Amino acid sequence: MKLFYQCIAVAVVITALAVAFVPGVDEYVEATVQGIVGPLAR
Amino acid sequence: MSIIKRLLTIVTCLLLIPATAVVTAAVKQRFADGPNRFFSGGPLIAGDMYTGSEPHWGFVNDITTIELQLVEPPRSRRIWTVEHKDKLYVWSGYMGTTVGRWWKGWPPQAERDGRAVLRIDGQRYERQLVRITSGDVLDGICKAITDKYPSRTTRASVEAGDVWLFEAAPRS
Repeated sequence: MKLFYQCIAVAVVITALAVAFVPGVDEYVEATVQGIVGPLAR
Repeated sequence: MSIIKRLLTIVTCLLLIPATAVVTAAVKQRFADGPNRFFSGGPLIAGDMYTGSEPHWGFVNDITTIELQLVEPPRSRRIWTVEHKDKLYVWSGYMGTTVGRWWKGWPPQAERDGRAVLRIDGQRYERQLVRITSGDVLDGICKAITDKYPSRTTRASVEAGDVWLFEAAPRS
């Protein structure tokens, strides 16, 4: 499990950095969230 | 550790990754000059503030979305708008569901303090949002909305509170 936790920690950091700094990633996240929440709100 | 507890831990850890993506995107947008799609943006900074006589708002009917920022709290979102009889209107749907009210947090805030800034085609306008809940004027506004957008907004949905409609009136 220790290796699993380490992989998750790395993945979380990479995700945060990608969304914060890689162009288009935040746009993709927003579009995905909108696609999920939109139908639920109806 | 039981197998169920271990499975729950793994699922929770895996969910942490998309959760991080969502939180990071939301925080990033909060510091931006204006909104993008879903998450609220920061205050509208860029663009000259309009001064002068009341504009003829008919031009907004050729614009799909505008940016709306409340003065308090100073957060912005992208919304639909329509002009009717030379008055400007904005609204929020989905107000009849729990998820919708959570998502569209700005209408109750605008009802408490209607001071707002709109940014349309890069020009900012100081306005006062005034909620309209009933009246014959809703027929014409809702027709203008459904003529412009694929919307099911009706006078009945506004009067029932499923849609919160505001006139973006001049700031006095």
